[in-house]
Amino acid sequence: MYYIVVYDVEEKRVAKVCKLLRKYLHWVQNSVFEGELSDGKFMELKYRLFELIDPEVDSVIIYALQGRWRNREVIGLNKNVAGNVI
Amino acid sequence: MGRPYYIFSSGILRRKDNTLYFESVEANDVFDEEVLCFVGYPDVDDSEGVSKRKPIPVEDVDSIYVFSEITFNTRFLNFLSQNNILLHVFNYYGFYSGTFYPREFLNSGRLIVKQVENYIFDDLRLILARKFVDGSSYNMLRNLKSYMPNDDLKVYVDAIEEERVKIESCGDISELMACEGHIRNAYYGAWDLITKDDFFAFDKRTKQPPRNAINALISFGNSMLYTAVLGEIYKTHLNPTISYLHEPSERRFSLALDIAELFKPIIVDRLIFKLINKKQISQEDFEVDLNFCYLSEEGRKKFVKEFNDLVESTIKHRNLGRNVSYRGLIRLECYKLIKHLLGDQDYEPIKVWWY
Repeated sequence: MYYIVVYDVEEKRVAKVCKLLRKYLHWVQNSVFEGELSDGKFMELKYRLFELIDPEVDSVIIYALQGRWRNREVIGLNKNVAGNVI
Repeated sequence: MGRPYYIFSSGILRRKDNTLYFESVEANDVFDEEVLCFVGYPDVDDSEGVSKRKPIPVEDVDSIYVFSEITFNTRFLNFLSQNNILLHVFNYYGFYSGTFYPREFLNSGRLIVKQVENYIFDDLRLILARKFVDGSSYNMLRNLKSYMPNDDLKVYVDAIEEERVKIESCGDISELMACEGHIRNAYYGAWDLITKDDFFAFDKRTKQPPRNAINALISFGNSMLYTAVLGEIYKTHLNPTISYLHEPSERRFSLALDIAELFKPIIVDRLIFKLINKKQISQEDFEVDLNFCYLSEEGRKKFVKEFNDLVESTIKHRNLGRNVSYRGLIRLECYKLIKHLLGDQDYEPIKVWWY
């Protein structure tokens, strides 16, 4: 499954959440990550996110996309290409 | 399941924040001509705030292919080892140099004993070696037959079929290797009829160095396949050094060579036909000199991209009833071999059924 994760967390946890997401997904914009994850990896990430954030004030939204629903269009600057050829 | 990452830009690979970072360094930035390497292991922090640093999600990495000049340190290699990531290195000419093969994380003494047993006893070894030749020649034949409307190919198909009958009667490995050689000669003989492009005329198979474009493609494709197979073997309990068709004393992980033999016609050869016939790759993608020929960087990029797309593409598996990628098929081949070695089920090599 392809995931898009956006987060809005309290300032002191921004870096932590960002670093965690960097391990699993590709950074595309400030507070936005995307990429392919297996079910197991996704559960792991969700668990770690849950451990990290304060559910009272922080908000993380995860969009799950099946391949055939996926289309990516960039208007303006494409800040980062999430590919495996560097 | 991670993906392979292919690195064509030069720079530094670093462990940072418990993930991998790629930092591109322009050759003339911190390049010391005298020692021909990046000076030390510089921290390339950009003062203008423009970060050239690119995080690579470690959980998404299956293996890393390095085609450029990269600096890294032991901290990075240790981290790869922790995450069971293989690092394949290719030299300036695009030839395979070697693999950083992290400590085995799946060990099975029982399987190693069985692997060795099947090697030492000639009759047991011959059974497996025959299967590899049988499977790979079947797949070659299938390639030719899928171009069969071309009647000129019939001579070659007949030649291979004739030779294939002899596989069963081969009494030892060298006879089998000779048989395999004949099949391969007939097979390569047919290539000019399939590719129909003067620049890619086959002439004869040459290695070290490849003499013409088609040989360069075969060599590069085979080494890409070899690394892919090695990566899959790494994820099983098999020991990659004990092989059956090839002699285990060779320098490489020879079990990967055995298994790659089956997949060469399915993956590499068909990819080459496609690239040439659809004119995706042409004369400009090669660097030709007096007695050698190799892919240019652009050519390599094209090839690697197409190779990756093909290996990740899926087909419906008949027995499993689900979609399996070509990479998955390689892994299944390893599992079948394990079953044979442990005496659960006789090994039957993969034979193409989907084209």
